[in-house]
Amino acid sequence: MAEKVGCFVCTGCKIGDAVDIEQVLSVANESGAVVAKSHEALCSKEGLDLIKSEIESNELGGVIIAACSQRDHVDTFRLPNVFVHRANMREQMAWTQPPQEEDTQMLAEDIIRMGFGKLQFTDIPQPEDVEVHNRILVVGGGVTGMSAALNAADAGKEVVIVEKEGELGGFANKLHKIFPKDLDLAAYPEPDVDALKEKVSGNDKITVEFNTTVASIAGAPAKFQVELKNGSGQKTINADSVVVAAGWKPYDATKLSHLGYGKPNVVTNVEFEQMAKDGKIARPSDGKEPESVLFVQCAGSRDDDHLPYCSNICCGATLKQITYLKDLNPEIAAYVVYKDIRAPGHYEEVYRQVQKQNAVMIKGEIEAVEEGDDGKLNVQATDVLMNEPVFVETDMVVLATGMVPTTLEEDVLNLAYRQGPELPEREYGFPNSHFVCFPYETQRTAIYAAGAVRMPMDLATCIDDAAGAAAKAVQSINLIEQGLAIHPRVGDASLPDFNLSRCTQCKRCTEECPFGALNEDEKGTPQPNPTRCRRCGVCMGACPERIVEFPDYNIQMISQQIKNMFVPDEFEEKPRVVCMVCENDAMAAIDMAAKNGLKLNPFVRIIPLRCLGSFNIIWVADALSNGIDGVLLLGCKSGDDYQCHFIKGSELCETRMGNVQDTLDRLMLESERLRLEHVAITDYKKIPEIFDSFLERLEELGPNPYKD
Amino acid sequence: MSEEPKVPIPELGGAVVETGGETLYQCMQCGLCTASCPWRLVEGDISRDFNTRKVQHMAMLGVEGYETEDILFACTTCGVCVERCPRECNPIDNMRVLRAMIGESGSVPQAYRPVIGSLNSNGNPWQGEAKDRTAWTKDMDVPSFGEDTEYLLFVCCTSCYDSRSKKIARAVASLLNKAGVSWGIIGEEEQCCGEAVRKVGSEETFMTLAEHNIKIFGEKGVKKIITTSPHCLYSFRNEYPELGGEFEVLHYTQLMDKLIEEGKLKPTKDFAKKVIFHDPCYLGRHNEVYEAPRNVIDSLPKAERVEMDRFGPDSICCGGGGGRIWMETPPGARFGDLRVSDAVAKKADVLATACPYCTIMIDASNMAMGKEEMEVLDIAEMLDQVT
Repeated sequence: MAEKVGCFVCTGCKIGDAVDIEQVLSVANESGAVVAKSHEALCSKEGLDLIKSEIESNELGGVIIAACSQRDHVDTFRLPNVFVHRANMREQMAWTQPPQEEDTQMLAEDIIRMGFGKLQFTDIPQPEDVEVHNRILVVGGGVTGMSAALNAADAGKEVVIVEKEGELGGFANKLHKIFPKDLDLAAYPEPDVDALKEKVSGNDKITVEFNTTVASIAGAPAKFQVELKNGSGQKTINADSVVVAAGWKPYDATKLSHLGYGKPNVVTNVEFEQMAKDGKIARPSDGKEPESVLFVQCAGSRDDDHLPYCSNICCGATLKQITYLKDLNPEIAAYVVYKDIRAPGHYEEVYRQVQKQNAVMIKGEIEAVEEGDDGKLNVQATDVLMNEPVFVETDMVVLATGMVPTTLEEDVLNLAYRQGPELPEREYGFPNSHFVCFPYETQRTAIYAAGAVRMPMDLATCIDDAAGAAAKAVQSINLIEQGLAIHPRVGDASLPDFNLSRCTQCKRCTEECPFGALNEDEKGTPQPNPTRCRRCGVCMGACPERIVEFPDYNIQMISQQIKNMFVPDEFEEKPRVVCMVCENDAMAAIDMAAKNGLKLNPFVRIIPLRCLGSFNIIWVADALSNGIDGVLLLGCKSGDDYQCHFIKGSELCETRMGNVQDTLDRLMLESERLRLEHVAITDYKKIPEIFDSFLERLEELGPNPYKD
Repeated sequence: MSEEPKVPIPELGGAVVETGGETLYQCMQCGLCTASCPWRLVEGDISRDFNTRKVQHMAMLGVEGYETEDILFACTTCGVCVERCPRECNPIDNMRVLRAMIGESGSVPQAYRPVIGSLNSNGNPWQGEAKDRTAWTKDMDVPSFGEDTEYLLFVCCTSCYDSRSKKIARAVASLLNKAGVSWGIIGEEEQCCGEAVRKVGSEETFMTLAEHNIKIFGEKGVKKIITTSPHCLYSFRNEYPELGGEFEVLHYTQLMDKLIEEGKLKPTKDFAKKVIFHDPCYLGRHNEVYEAPRNVIDSLPKAERVEMDRFGPDSICCGGGGGRIWMETPPGARFGDLRVSDAVAKKADVLATACPYCTIMIDASNMAMGKEEMEVLDIAEMLDQVT
């Protein structure tokens, strides 16, 4: 902890008008400030000069900057070699409370007291340099893998591509054409796979291991030991970060017998592509050129019994394949039975071209595909636009099947992680850990997914995607080297410390870490891997023995803030609530509420948490024994469409709360004194109501019986 | 849903494309045409049964079920769907070709038989004798088109034979005289432009009429044509050139606008009324003439011009295009009612238009709805009153 603490109160942004500043400064002095001063604009050059000169003359180790939210002026108040606490007097007080009221004054003073509590138990983290190899492992040598490798090599990193086949190219090798060649797509140049292959082969920073798979990956980012396996044996390489570009597999058409698969003249779009590539588009039953072909879109896609999602490329593939037919013989009739044609970007041009070639588009659903006379197929469908059944006799049916990530069917990484060998599967089985906000991120630090293994996409998109993932892989090495966190707390130097002598091997931390950062020894003792850690504090929240702490974020630091709050005896007029908020979303929502002029309940004291997943139930005991009437937790949306930066923070918190609520009930203490709400940034308008309704409920329950 | 499945015959769809329905397969089946269609704004069987997208779709599949009067012959060719289609489809062309195919099979709707018969025998759709084509000129100084004449005034058959519509022809002629324009008519020898009968699907009749007119115009040395109807304007501008008839064609509102601007026509008497303009489909959407008629109204002294809620490219059809002028449309399903309501909502004294069909259809609605305190006038009539 800092021995000498200074407190600087800004009086700008209406803070000075809201409260008696002298009184606030005297609270700071009572709390042990070596120096306590106010200034009309701490963020100005004069304000900063004041802080800096006081730091120097008083040899301060910590400063409390009582001004705006910690989300504002982040760089302005980044001061070297002192611990900085941002006490939020603006959003949490001046902008959300009536000025010159007794309750407003009490809130402001508590904000200062809590800051001093925090500084009693915090230190500046000291990052340690990590030795790196500047080498990236790319799993998969398809278009995505090759593109990622070239990007990473351009950034100066060494790359090892592991390719299970004997040549580069992946699925692109199976394509007859990428786009119809005769289409004027000057604005959308077609990916040149051969050129990519040549560039990769000619790049001396890139090594390709052919006919090879990853037998295992041990260690942690910057310390990965990768066992490679091929026909002639095994070898080990070191790598710092990984790009998973394992591609996709077509959905298993044997599950599509209701669409006729299994009958000789029913093929998948992948099989049809092969026919075109072989130069022999023909009915499998007799090898005759078809007179008509019917394409079934969404074959096993957007279907709750199969793949519930859209694979993005099948419409484009069918449209392209119709051009194969029309090139072969314009007289071949092409039918398409579809739910919706999804032809974004340049696929719209393909769509138009195919329509000009008189493809018959039928919006509807397949009812039956049966074998007819002379090798023909009898297809019955419902035509949505006519609301009538239609019957088509055709030579062939092509099922446009969707894309499944390879990782769903095969182990490609074989990680030696306590939580399992592969990337955790999120929605639809894809390994994205935060689809909307953080593409490429997975639940394993410094391992990034790119291309069709991440989400269904076409080749052109794969190339862009690879660039993104490669940038992430490069960035991760540079940050790890400095001992800093990568994502989402980019640049955070703190690391958790485990006081293992008190560990009871309960395994809660090793199970709950969303990123598999902790391994276990045989007894179940956690074995931290610092470079896998994202610094969320879930382990700290999980630990019943409270043996996990960060230098700048720990149990005692929060406990002391709670204890430092002044709790008046008179509940009727002055109830008290501790509100712990996720600093990623909920705190931003509170700031937004303030910026939008909303007023907040004056009895709530806010403490930001790195993630609700770091919430430790001891804090409930601290709060209740301190006479606080209720504990409110604001976290992110959980479930399949979670918004948590750390995957399942509020979910974990909820489980822990459930446990503590049972205990409260047993102690005849109302469990409703604990409440958790999900708040997205956009929910800022709900914040006043969330506070007020909790206070109303507490009023009904009456004062905390432990109040002095 | 019927039991028997429909069997697509793509060759039939292909035949539509080859005979002029070029955009049939361009449809992406979004249904904007159906949603935009004025039939959605009225009640009744046609509104229920006529679905533009569905007709296009069935035609593409080559299946039957859309050939009835209430479906295939419902379209008034107003062009809102053409204007709005995100895929540049032209349902009007497609519908015209489909009607032609039905016509070839001999199942022309009953209502069109006398029309086509009259066109073939008299050169007009209104059962009038050719010699009566100039009856509207009675007691007027109307010059014949000669070698030195600049403009041919081509009077729509409707304004040649319909008593209400004759007033429009007379007003235009009077204005041309007042402005001292060099103009003349051909009269008995000319025939219907053929625009509407082509939309009905009688391609053969259209060809006969067009070829006749092109020949006569050529013989007389016609270079510039003024039309009283936007439909003739459309046909001369967009259909005759392909058949070798190249002329400079103006709608009379365009010429009047020019003459007023040049000071050759001077509206002097007051027209102190609130005037609302209904954009005829064939003047607006089909020929993109929106400004000229408004300029003419604005030139009327003391006239106050207001707009309907749906105007310009969003104007609603009067219900008379695409051959519907010859069809009976049941009460409650007449688009003219919508136009009258729109004008009444803006408290207009005069609903002005510039198309013989619009005048007839909207005037009929106006009378049926008992809104006679509002007049339905052609712009030419208004301008002639005050000039």
